[in-house]
Amino acid sequence: MSEPARVLHARLHLLDRQVVRESDDRLLCKVDDLEVQPGDRPYVTAILSGPLALGPRLGGLPGWLMTETDRLFRGEERPGPYRIEMSVVTEIGSAVRVAGRRQDLALERWLTRNVVSRIPGAAGTEEQDAPESTLRVRERWEDRPDSMRLGGLLGRTVRGPSGEVAGDTVDVRLVQDGPLLAEVQQAFRLAGLLIARRRAGQLFGYERGPGLWRPSLLGALVRRMHGEIRYAEWDQIESLDDEEVRLGVAWDRLRSTADL
Amino acid sequence: MKKLIAVTLGILTAFGGFVDIGDLVANAVVGARFGMSLAWVVVVGIIGICVFAEMSGRIAAVSQRPVFDLVRERMGPRAGLVNLGASFFINVLTLAAEIGGAALALELATGLNYLLWVPPVALVAWLVMWRVKFETMERVFGLAGLALVVFIVALWQLGPDWGELTTQLTRPPQDEGVPTYLYYAIALLGGAMTPYEVFFFSSGGVEEKWTRKDLVTARANVFVGFPLGGVLSLTIAACAATVFMPVEAEPDSLGQMVLPVAEGVGKIGLGVVILGVFAATFGATLETALSSGYSLSQYFGWQWGKYVVPGRAARFHVTVLASVIVATALILTTIDPIKVTEYSLVFSAAALPLTYLPVLMIANDPDYMGEKVNGRFSNVLGSFYMVLLLVVAVAAIPLMLATKAGQ
Repeated sequence: MSEPARVLHARLHLLDRQVVRESDDRLLCKVDDLEVQPGDRPYVTAILSGPLALGPRLGGLPGWLMTETDRLFRGEERPGPYRIEMSVVTEIGSAVRVAGRRQDLALERWLTRNVVSRIPGAAGTEEQDAPESTLRVRERWEDRPDSMRLGGLLGRTVRGPSGEVAGDTVDVRLVQDGPLLAEVQQAFRLAGLLIARRRAGQLFGYERGPGLWRPSLLGALVRRMHGEIRYAEWDQIESLDDEEVRLGVAWDRLRSTADL
Repeated sequence: MKKLIAVTLGILTAFGGFVDIGDLVANAVVGARFGMSLAWVVVVGIIGICVFAEMSGRIAAVSQRPVFDLVRERMGPRAGLVNLGASFFINVLTLAAEIGGAALALELATGLNYLLWVPPVALVAWLVMWRVKFETMERVFGLAGLALVVFIVALWQLGPDWGELTTQLTRPPQDEGVPTYLYYAIALLGGAMTPYEVFFFSSGGVEEKWTRKDLVTARANVFVGFPLGGVLSLTIAACAATVFMPVEAEPDSLGQMVLPVAEGVGKIGLGVVILGVFAATFGATLETALSSGYSLSQYFGWQWGKYVVPGRAARFHVTVLASVIVATALILTTIDPIKVTEYSLVFSAAALPLTYLPVLMIANDPDYMGEKVNGRFSNVLGSFYMVLLLVVAVAAIPLMLATKAGQ
């Protein structure tokens, strides 16, 4: 265990990546959001997908439409998004690969059964449904009200100890040194927040070292739009209430991203 | 022959951008009105699409990620959704026009009204997308589109005044206003760099299961296909400049646009060119319909593609089918297919930066590309084109309104 724990930026390396099933390379879904177990040392517990994960991240009218349409078709009392435990993730690269015999999302199954299988020449529809016995263990995707969504931490206003606006959250830094998940791998712990001085949306990866600011014109432009970028460790954050982030220390005492 | 077959993806993609129904007529109109004075725009377009198609092909080969996957991944869900809305709208409009174009080519061949040909064309196109293997599809329609090379023969047979054509390169005609000239410049650039070309090209690379070993194939596709498409579109303009400009006629239909070939090569040439027009527009039908499925599926992370059996990509095939039905209905309203592409081209110009920006960013990201990141040359060109596309995106719609779409 001497090698250093893996570090990821949630928005840059995880959110919105393609999820692929390890066994047969089937494209399953996108990482629409991440489920976080709150606490003193919060960590990522699951990948969330489907309209109920994407809708809240989109926000506005399209997000609301997406969420409500999905609710209409769901039977559960408190429906939640499609959920993939982080413990089955085997690789995080240009795609996120997951182990196990995971079912497709409901829309794909419904369309296969009711539309595509009725068109002549539709091969492959019979592979769709798993045998009855595995269907019974299918998890119900119910909402977990005690958990937190990582997407909700992005784009929040950050205030200093005396209440002045310090900046905007642009990404969440994750370090893989959290508690063991299903006794197979360590969880990604939320180590801190990347904060940009000006509200300018995403960083597109240009928060990383200067060697990666290419093409240089674009790198310079994105960094200029954001102003100074600093990094707040989790214990430098006092509270996360009211859709805002309150820092426990002054802006000047935060680390610069150049030291990361 | 084997080498030629390996580049049919590039040819099919490029023909959908440079010589689809809208461009076939637009090139002839531009040639008749402006002579060769807009040829430089086509050259700028060829270089631009080569730069970005090369990047997207390289990304597909190294990381197996197609373009719309990257759009969502790097731009985030909101900007991605804006791009998806715009691209999908343009795709369906263009699809409608291409179905109409293929039907018009059949009208030229048979004399039967094109509206009668629309349903069969749409049905056959859908059957091809539903059942025919990607490689077979790409080879048949890529190679058949090569029949358009007859325009080069025709130009040579017409024996134009080469000196006159060369002078036109730098001298726009005096009787056309500057805004009209710029409007056509944007329409030509938008046509050369339409977003569905990179959606289709990079997804096609994934469909063909490209890996790092196929980087040479990917490049060959780019550097054969797109320049060939561009040269054809220049030749069409030159033919029109030779035949129509001296008599101050303006070709406004497919039937008139193929006249220079009949004049230069005769009846056989006319037959060949109609085959070429049909193959190019039918190929563009496939390209735009599949692109609508690719972009929607890749945004939401659905299983897509023809490399799995149809029953295993239900949402993708339902999207393609629905797009074909909507487009067919649209064209059956007797709306003019050529007008439709003129408008969709200008709207696509506005969506261009949102598509090419993430491609440029990912092509520089070593997490994806390892040591295959962009070199300095690609980055300088890529940055230059990003600035150019931003200008074009801002200017497109105001220019369309100011010139009443180039009239």
